[in-house]
Amino acid sequence: MSKDARGRFGRYLLMAGRLALAVIFLYAAYAKLKPQVGMPWSIASVNTSLSMFAMGVDSYQMLPTWAVSPFAHLLPPVELILGLWLLSGFGLRFSSVLSTLAVCGFIIAMVSAYRRGLTISCGCFGPGEQIGPKTFIRDGLLFLPLSLAVTVGAFLVRRKPGEPAVPATAATVQSAE
Amino acid sequence: MDYRVDSTREAQAGGVTSLTRAVRVVAVCSILVLGTVAYGAPGAARARAKAAESASAPVKTYGSSAAPIKMEVFSDYECPSCRSLYEQTLRPMIADYVSAGKVYLVHRDFPLPMHKYGYEAARWANAAARVGQFQNVEAALYDNQPAWSVDGNIEKFIAAAMPAADFKRVQKLMEGCTGAATASTDGGRMLNVAQTARGCSLDPYINEDRALGTRIPVQATPTYVITYKGQRLPAGSGVVSWPILKQFFDSLLRQ
Repeated sequence: MSKDARGRFGRYLLMAGRLALAVIFLYAAYAKLKPQVGMPWSIASVNTSLSMFAMGVDSYQMLPTWAVSPFAHLLPPVELILGLWLLSGFGLRFSSVLSTLAVCGFIIAMVSAYRRGLTISCGCFGPGEQIGPKTFIRDGLLFLPLSLAVTVGAFLVRRKPGEPAVPATAATVQSAE
Repeated sequence: MDYRVDSTREAQAGGVTSLTRAVRVVAVCSILVLGTVAYGAPGAARARAKAAESASAPVKTYGSSAAPIKMEVFSDYECPSCRSLYEQTLRPMIADYVSAGKVYLVHRDFPLPMHKYGYEAARWANAAARVGQFQNVEAALYDNQPAWSVDGNIEKFIAAAMPAADFKRVQKLMEGCTGAATASTDGGRMLNVAQTARGCSLDPYINEDRALGTRIPVQATPTYVITYKGQRLPAGSGVVSWPILKQFFDSLLRQ
C-alpha cells in the first residue's frame, strides 16, 4: 500500500469514527430531550423531559441540589452541539478532545455510583437503563476507545493548509478534472 | 309418547305402583334440592369471604386517587436508600403535594432476599394497613430501621406506633406469620423469601406487589413509577431529593 493510499485509508477511518461518535452524542441528546410518551414536542414537554433527567442526575448523589437542575438542563444541549460539531468535522482536534473528556466524565460518574452501592438508572440514553457491567462495557470498551481513536487520529492525520478534513470523493475529483 | 303409555299402564296397575313412583320422585327432588343447597352454600360463603377480604385489603396509600399525578414506590423497609427516599423526599412530599391533592402516593412492597428482616417488616406493615394504621407503621419502620435491622425486633416499634387496641388486631393478623420470613440460602444461592414463607394470610398482598414490580421491571429498590393523567412514565430508581422531584411535578402540572 502506497503512502497516499495509507493516508487516504486513515482519513476514511477517521471520518467513520468521527461520524459514529457524532451519532452517539446526537442520540444521547435526543433521548434526553424527546418528550415523554403522550406528550407533543413543545418547550413545556422538553422541559418536563429535562426535569426527569434532572432526577436521574440527582440520583448519582454527586452534585449539590442547587447544581443538579442547571447541569441537567445544560448537558443535553451540550451533547447536541458536540454531536453537530463532530458531524461538521470543523476543528476536529478540539471537538474530539471535548468528547473524550465527556465520555471520561460519564464513566467516572457511573463507576463512582456503582462503588457507592447505588442501584440507579444510568440516564445515558434516557431513563430506564440500570448502571452495571453492561453500561461499563459499552462506555469503557466501546465509546472511550472510539473517542480516543478519533482524538489520536485527529492529531496524527496531517493536512496541507486549506485541505478539507474529509477526503474528496471520486466524483468530486472527476468533476474537478 | 312413551310417558303417556307408561302413565296409562301404571294407572291401570293400581295404587301401590303409583305410591312407589311418587316416593321415587320425591326422593330425586330432595336429592336435587339438597345438592343445590350444599353446593351453593360454600359458593356463597366463598363470595362473602372474598368480598370481606377485598373490603379489608391493606390500604397502603396517601392522598386522593383523583390526584393528577400518581407515584408508586416499590421499596423494601430494610433498604437504606428506601429509608433515605422516605425521610428526605416522601415525607415533605406527603406534607406538601399529597395533602394539596396534587399527588397520590402508593406504597408497593418489594422486599429483597438480601435483607433478613425486610419481608417480615412488610408483613407488619400490611397487617397495620388492614387496620388503617399503615402510615404510622411505615414511619415507625423507616425511623427505626437502623435498630430493628440489626436484631429483627420489629414488634416493639409497631406497638409504639399505634393504639393498644389496634396493635392487638395487628397481632391477631400476624398469627402464623412471624418467624418464617427470613431469607435463607441453599448452598450459597439466596432463596426468594416468598419461597420460604408459607401459611401467612398477609403474604399474598406482598407477593402481588412483587409480581407487579417484576413486570415493570423493578431491578432495585427504591424504584418509583409516575403516572400522569393515565400515562405511565419510565420508572426511575434511587434517591431523588424533594426539590428536584417537586420541580418535575411542577413541570408535569404545567403541561
